[in-house]
Amino acid sequence: MLKVKQGQLDALGLLFERYKKILFGFFYNMNLDQNLSEDLVQTVFERVLKYRTGFNGDGEFKVWMFHIARNVNIDNYRKSSRFKNEDIENHRDISDGVGSIEEAIGKGEELDILNAALNRLDHEKKEIITLSKIEGLKYKEIGKVLNCSEGAVKVKVFRAMQSLKGEFLKIQKTV
Amino acid sequence: MNLDEEIKQLVNRFNTGILRPDEVETLEKYIEEGRVDLSEFAELQAFYNRLILDNSSEPSAKLNTRFYSMLAEQKTNASKSWFNTFNELWYSKPVVRWAYGFILVGFGLTVGLILKTNDSSNTEINKLSAEVKEMKEMMMLSLLEEESINDRLKAVSLSRELPEASERIISALLETLNNDENVNVRLSALEALVPYADDSKVRVGLVASIAKQESPLVQMGLAEMMLVLQEKRSVDALKNLLENQETPAEVKEKITETLEILI
Repeated sequence: MLKVKQGQLDALGLLFERYKKILFGFFYNMNLDQNLSEDLVQTVFERVLKYRTGFNGDGEFKVWMFHIARNVNIDNYRKSSRFKNEDIENHRDISDGVGSIEEAIGKGEELDILNAALNRLDHEKKEIITLSKIEGLKYKEIGKVLNCSEGAVKVKVFRAMQSLKGEFLKIQKTV
Repeated sequence: MNLDEEIKQLVNRFNTGILRPDEVETLEKYIEEGRVDLSEFAELQAFYNRLILDNSSEPSAKLNTRFYSMLAEQKTNASKSWFNTFNELWYSKPVVRWAYGFILVGFGLTVGLILKTNDSSNTEINKLSAEVKEMKEMMMLSLLEEESINDRLKAVSLSRELPEASERIISALLETLNNDENVNVRLSALEALVPYADDSKVRVGLVASIAKQESPLVQMGLAEMMLVLQEKRSVDALKNLLENQETPAEVKEKITETLEILI
């Protein structure tokens, strides 16, 4: 990344090849949308290029990249939430309180139910579980991404795990 | 009950689902402090461990194409020199051309103004200096006409303040040296002429003055000056003075010394 910062833009290609899948996985699990996730990965690398001088080289590139990725995802989430709210205002009769994911599960397996449970969590809890499940991203690093302490991350994960279990059990009852 | 036991009990109560909300807060505090590890919540951990993120989807080739196009574009932009950017702006934005024109005109005006100011201020200074010099000359000449010895002495002193003596001043000083009735004024005029001794007209004037002087002090002063100036043209005048019976002995002695060196 330091090479990119110094103007060797070709080096960004190496970073892209190394992290595109992991980033895509983060966005895909957060949004369940192939095209959107690719758009967001692209946006992350555009921002990496734009703000490359802001990378001070002290920390790991992955942490800095996920910091950007999280902001990109939040921007998208806020944008889509606004659209969703407008849709709800226009079509109040559509919402029945049960997500379409659960319907798709049918009589599926445990992992499907767990993923469905994950998708029913609020944004913050879903985000912390997703980040904690990304290979090689430790609680300490997640703390840097979220601007909080390692201990605070553990508490967030603990709460998210409880909610995950709660949602899992709820879905299991309906199946 | 010590802290470790309290924590153990809190964890057990949580795992059995009987923890009160206020106790949850305490438990979270211990988690945050690192006293409780998340792996101690076995059932919860089991759910968490069984969750595997959906890796069924992978980014398509489209993402690669978009990324590398963006990178190529950025590289092209980065390699553009400032001149190219300026060139583009020059042809695409008329405002850049106007701004450039204004800057050039402004620069020209500023330079012109500075030069003009310098020119005019220099001219003013030169003019003023000339006026001051003229005034001093006039004052000196008029003071030399005064009856008061002090005024005439002032006039001679004034000549020393002039940066350069004009012919008029030199003539006036030689005139004073030859004709002023007061010895001190004549001596002062002699001293005032020293700085202009390189001028041949002054030297000739000084040599000619030897024959006109009657005061021993002025005669001795002139002899001394001829010695300093190594003015051989004064030998005849000095010899005449030496042969003059009215010349005082001290003066003759001085003249003899001078002639010995000059000849």
